[in-house]
Order: sequence, then structure tokens, then C-alpha cells
Amino acid sequence: MFLPSEKSGEVDLQKTYDAIIVGSGAGGGMAAHVLTSHGLQVLLLEAGRKLNINQELKSMQWPYDHPRRGDLPPDSHALSRNEYTIRKPPYAQGTSYRHVYSYILDGSGPDYAKDIVVDEKDHPYTGTEYAWVRARCLGGKTNIWGRLALRLSDYDFKAASRDGYGEDWPISYADIAPYYDKVDLYLGISGHQENLPYLPDSLFQRAVRLTTAEVQLRASLAKMGRVLTPYRAGVTTDGLKHNKYRSRCYGRGACDRRVGGCDIHAAFDSPTGLIFPALDTGNLTLRTNATVHEVTVDKNTGKASGVSFIDTGSGKIYSAKGRTVLLAASTLESARLMLLSTSTVYPNGIGNSSGHVGHNFCEHLMGPGVHGLVKELVGKPRTLDDGRPGAFYLARFRNLAERQSKFIRGYGFEGDSGTTMFPDNAFSTPGFGAEYKKNVRDYAGAFIGMGGFGEVLARYENYVDLDPQAKDRWGIPVLRFHYRFGDNEKKMAEDMADSAREMFEQAGIEILEVNREILTEGYSIHELGTSRMGADPKKSVVNQFQQCHEVKNLLVVDGSTHVSASCQNPTWTIMALCWRSCDHLADELKKGNV
Amino acid sequence: MAQEINRRELIRIGAGAALASQAGLAASVRPRFFTPAEFTMVDDLAELIIPADSHSPGAHAANVAEYIDARLAEAFEPQQQERWRAGLQAVDALSNKLYGRAFLEARPEDRLALLASMAENEKHPKTPGQVFFGELKAATIHAYYTSKIGIHQEMEYKGNTLLQEFVGYEVK
Repeated sequence: MFLPSEKSGEVDLQKTYDAIIVGSGAGGGMAAHVLTSHGLQVLLLEAGRKLNINQELKSMQWPYDHPRRGDLPPDSHALSRNEYTIRKPPYAQGTSYRHVYSYILDGSGPDYAKDIVVDEKDHPYTGTEYAWVRARCLGGKTNIWGRLALRLSDYDFKAASRDGYGEDWPISYADIAPYYDKVDLYLGISGHQENLPYLPDSLFQRAVRLTTAEVQLRASLAKMGRVLTPYRAGVTTDGLKHNKYRSRCYGRGACDRRVGGCDIHAAFDSPTGLIFPALDTGNLTLRTNATVHEVTVDKNTGKASGVSFIDTGSGKIYSAKGRTVLLAASTLESARLMLLSTSTVYPNGIGNSSGHVGHNFCEHLMGPGVHGLVKELVGKPRTLDDGRPGAFYLARFRNLAERQSKFIRGYGFEGDSGTTMFPDNAFSTPGFGAEYKKNVRDYAGAFIGMGGFGEVLARYENYVDLDPQAKDRWGIPVLRFHYRFGDNEKKMAEDMADSAREMFEQAGIEILEVNREILTEGYSIHELGTSRMGADPKKSVVNQFQQCHEVKNLLVVDGSTHVSASCQNPTWTIMALCWRSCDHLADELKKGNV
Repeated sequence: MAQEINRRELIRIGAGAALASQAGLAASVRPRFFTPAEFTMVDDLAELIIPADSHSPGAHAANVAEYIDARLAEAFEPQQQERWRAGLQAVDALSNKLYGRAFLEARPEDRLALLASMAENEKHPKTPGQVFFGELKAATIHAYYTSKIGIHQEMEYKGNTLLQEFVGYEVK
């Protein structure tokens, strides 16, 4: 495995960088790539450590070669689904465990990702129930993301014009399409062309294949005018000649047996996909263990002058100077940072004269779904069904031509079928003994299931602010949540469950379980919207190029700027928007406009 | 009730292999948490839950009891260890009540009948024995299906290997 040839230089605190980027996930990595490729001198600050991700993930280790079969050490605890419903944040409070992690580690193989996600004990938050998953390390959540890489369309960008709710985006699909193309080509994406106006195709590499059950469901859905397509994965299946850090996908399987992550980096992650190549340009300085707690301001010009950061290990405070500052700390952390950055010039926080920072917070609704059995597959010889980075995606079908339901907007489904390394049906199969054992074996490959991802409406009343008392391990005020699903989400969830059942029934799949319960807010890990873009400085935080209306040299380039959540997973859109904004920024810097 | 489970039923759930199993299978292992007698009980119970059959070896060969013992030895919450100790005592108490002897001294068919009574009401367990069955079964499943035998012989898992092409049906 290659490592970056250019060792990152020490951060020079005297120098004024062309750009300081806060956060190294999808947005921060993309900003580093684009700005360094324009020849700009860039400082990238990451709050967490630089991990040797290959050693962390050990993607091909067999469970029996791990002392606890992949489980966490005994003094560590992952929050269960139930804990989020019976308790309030901060969730690590009052526990005897030494380390507490979010629900994402409450699955198989959590030990491999425990260094990637944050310890809830160090990173508390308060307010309403919220399952907040955070990764603090180089690359952030891209190290373990679910890899579903979808485009938005004008059904999303112009949704407000279509149904009268909320705000349109200040861009249309035509503005961002060339940048989606750039992301596709630079990072690689696997998928099958479907020509859907509401779910535009990418420039796809080789698609994954479907199982027997999925072929059956696809054919049945086609009769209903709905589309099940091979998982559109942000994974290079044919390889990338321009990137020496990433291998193509070898369908090794068991991609889903752990939190995620890919130690050959066929799945996109920000370090190998974006940051290491950016380091190779010689234009990037990387500083990890740098927790930025303030964007500093030049009081004469009102512009951002740089950032203050705390060394995560020593606790010492440093400042760095930049001509521009780009926030990519994640939708919630970027909002927190802007609210923390108060000054005489910006008493409500930098970029927040509209009062919208932290508001219009939205994400995806999860929980409802269906689990079924394809009887014809029971007892069939074992096949390899998980040798692929994902199984299938079922595209949105509600409220496309006209409003068809009791709710507005739409949802899609992510699903999976067939054999996995661990037979999950072992837990649900009743009894014991030889018949039990045979049942587990015979049925293991015959299940198919899917769960919905629906658009949560952006509402001003859903927001985060700073808790007046609570602080994190470094003494920084923490976020307080004021966030609840509303009536539209509840109606949508009911329809998700009903339609999931109907689609399985139509396909002749025996229904085993219809899940109607909505998961706690935050489960989607798709938080969006806290600094939405728009043309009107009174109703939005950034313009279409993600520049703060009142601080043109401060950009927000993560999920914060989504105007609406859509029902598509956001990573690809975050990166396409960021690329577009950074191209614009480089141009403006050359012209001396920033 | 356990006595009402007839022999045909026993053979159906346990098959011949489990009935033929001998108490004290794993005398050679030195447990870290369990007493030797407790360890033997767990080993026997696990083998009754996932027995060897013509397709693959069972929980005993997959060292399920050894794995459960190792995890309990390092358990962070003392309640977890207490639950297992109390659960095994409940099994012995039940055996004494029904058959007048401890579990390990009971006849193979009686041990199987006893486990069957513990497995009743699996979704809504009522007695201490039935509650313990849930924990015992879950631990056995976890240990067995993550073992070499469980993954390769029993489930014949084909993944975790390098492929040149994805397996399955191409979408046209």
C-alpha cells in the first residue's frame, strides 16, 4: 500500500495561507484537492488523529482471528437503539463504562472502528434525543460511510416551486451536473444507467450484480413503473489510473459485516481519494489533532482572518492565518464553530446576521421497511451474495408527476438479500437442536429486506444552538439540540411501511416483518442544512458558491448548505457543490475579489 | 412440561448425535471463569443447541464453551457473570426437581427434555430457566457462527476472497 510521498510539512503559524480548511471529510478533502490543484497554498486542519486506516480496518480478518470476534473491549459500550429512546443526551452520562460510542458500533465488528468514531464521554451534547454519529480522524466519516452515491435533480433543487413548501435552491441541476461528472471521474462510481429524470445517472464504472431475489423484485417493480437498480456505490470497480493510493474493487465480500470501511480503498475515502493526492502537489500542509474553536475576524475589514485551534493532545492554543477560511467540520460542527465565533463585529456568531445558522436542520427519516422470504431459495446450494459493495437501491416514486399522497416529497429504499458471513436468521429461528441448525442453514440465503430513507422537511424550528453550560473535554461549549420529526415525516413513515409491504407482496415475496417504527432522529447520519444557501441574505447563510453573505472569504463546504434534504444520500452532492465553489473561489482570488 | 415431550419429539429436535453425547465432553479445558463442572454444563448445553450432524461438527467441536468462558472472564459488568452462574444453578435445580439429580448426572434424554422445557415460551420467557435459555442460545449462536467450523463447514461461506468479477445477475 502506498503512503503519501510528500510528508506534510509543519504548520507555519507566521505564514498567511491562501486557504485554511477545517475538517478533512468529504467536503474538506474535496476543498483540499481542488484548491491545491489551482496552485493555492492550503492548510488543512483536522481535529482527530491520522490513523493507519489499513491496520484499523483489517477488512479481511476472519472473526475467529480476533480475540473477541470483532466485539468492543469489555470496558467499552455502544449505545443501543433503545437507549436513545429511553434516555436524553448526554448519553454517556452516568455510565460506568470507560468508553461510550454511538449506535453505529452496536453491530458486527465494532472493534475495527472504535478509533474512528468519537468517544461520547469526551464529546457530549444536550437537548432533544438525537443519535449523533461523529468521526474525528483524518477523513472523518468517509472512512466508514455506507458508500451510496446518488445525484440530486431539479425535482429536489426546485422542490419548493413544485409543491410550495420551503425554499428552492439557488442552483439548478444544470449548474451542478458538470461537477457531478468531475466527482464521478476523479473518484469512481459504480452503477447502472437507468435514465431517470428524478435520479440522474452518473458516469458509471462496472455495476454490481443482483441476486435471484433482487432480479425477481426488479422485474415485479418494473410492472409498477418503479425502479430497483444495483447499488450506486462510491466505489471504483474498474480502477483509477490517476490515483496510486486506491485499488479497484475485488468483490471480496463481507463489506457489510462491519461498520464499513475498505482497506484497499476501492470505496472512496477522503484521505486516499483526495488528501494524499493533494499532499503530492506540494501545496498542502496537513495538521491533525487541531480542534478549531474559533474563526478569527479582522475587525477593520469584517473578513475572516484565520482560525484558533486547540492541540487535541496538549490542550495548547494556536492561531493560523488565512486569506480565506473553508468550514467542512460536518453540518453540526460547522454550525457550532460559527456560533462559537462571536466578536464585536459578529455578536451572533460569524456569518449569522440572518439568524439562520444552526436552523433549517434536516436529514433523512429511517426505520420503516420490510423483511421477507423468497421460498424458492430455501435449501438451495450456497451462493456468494455479499461479494459486492452494496446490493440495491429502489428509487423514489412518490410525488413525482403530481402530489399523490398525504405528505410532500419522497423516499427511496436501500436493500439487501442473500447470504452474509454471519447468518442473522440464527437469532430469529426458534428452538434448538439438529432441526434448528438445519433451518438456519437452509434459510440463510433466502431473505430479502429493505429500509426507507425519506426527506425530512427543512424547518426553521428544527435547530441547534450552544448549550449555555455544558462543555466538551476541551472546555468548548457543546451543541444543544432542538429537533423533532414533524407531521409530514410521520405520514411519510406510514406510507413507507405500507408501500414496502405492497411491493414485496406484488413480487411474491413472503412477508416476515413490516417495520413501522421511526428510528430516533439522527440515525441516518445525513444531517444537513444548518447554513443553507440562498440568494436572500435574510433567509440564508451562504450564496450559491457557499460564501457567507456577509463574509465573502468564509465558505461552508459540507452538508450545512443543503437547502432541502431530498431523499438521496448527500455525500456526492457535498463534493460536487464543494468542487464548484472552490473553482469559483480560486477564480475570485485571482481576480482579487475575495 | 418436560415430561410431556415424547421421545419422537426429542429425536426431532435433538437428532441422534445429541442424544448420544456424553456428559463431560470438555474435561481437558481449564476454564477461566466457570468452575470445571459449570464449564462442562455449558459445553453440553451448547452442543444440544447446535449439535454435530451429518453436515458439520457442532458447538463442542467449535469450542463454543471456551469462547463464552473467555468473554465472561473479562466481563466488565459483574451482573453478566452473576446471570450465568445463577442460570446454570437454575438448570441444576430444575434437573434435581424433575429427575432427582444434577444436570450432568441426568440421562441424555432427560437433559434434552430439560432443555426443551427451558426453550418453551422463547419469545416471552417466564421461568428463570427459560430466561437463561435466551442468553445461552444467543451466546452459542454468536460463538458458533463466528467460528471456523461455523463459517466454513456449516455455512460454507464463499466470500472474503478476491474476485475478478462480481457474482450474480447483470442488469440489462
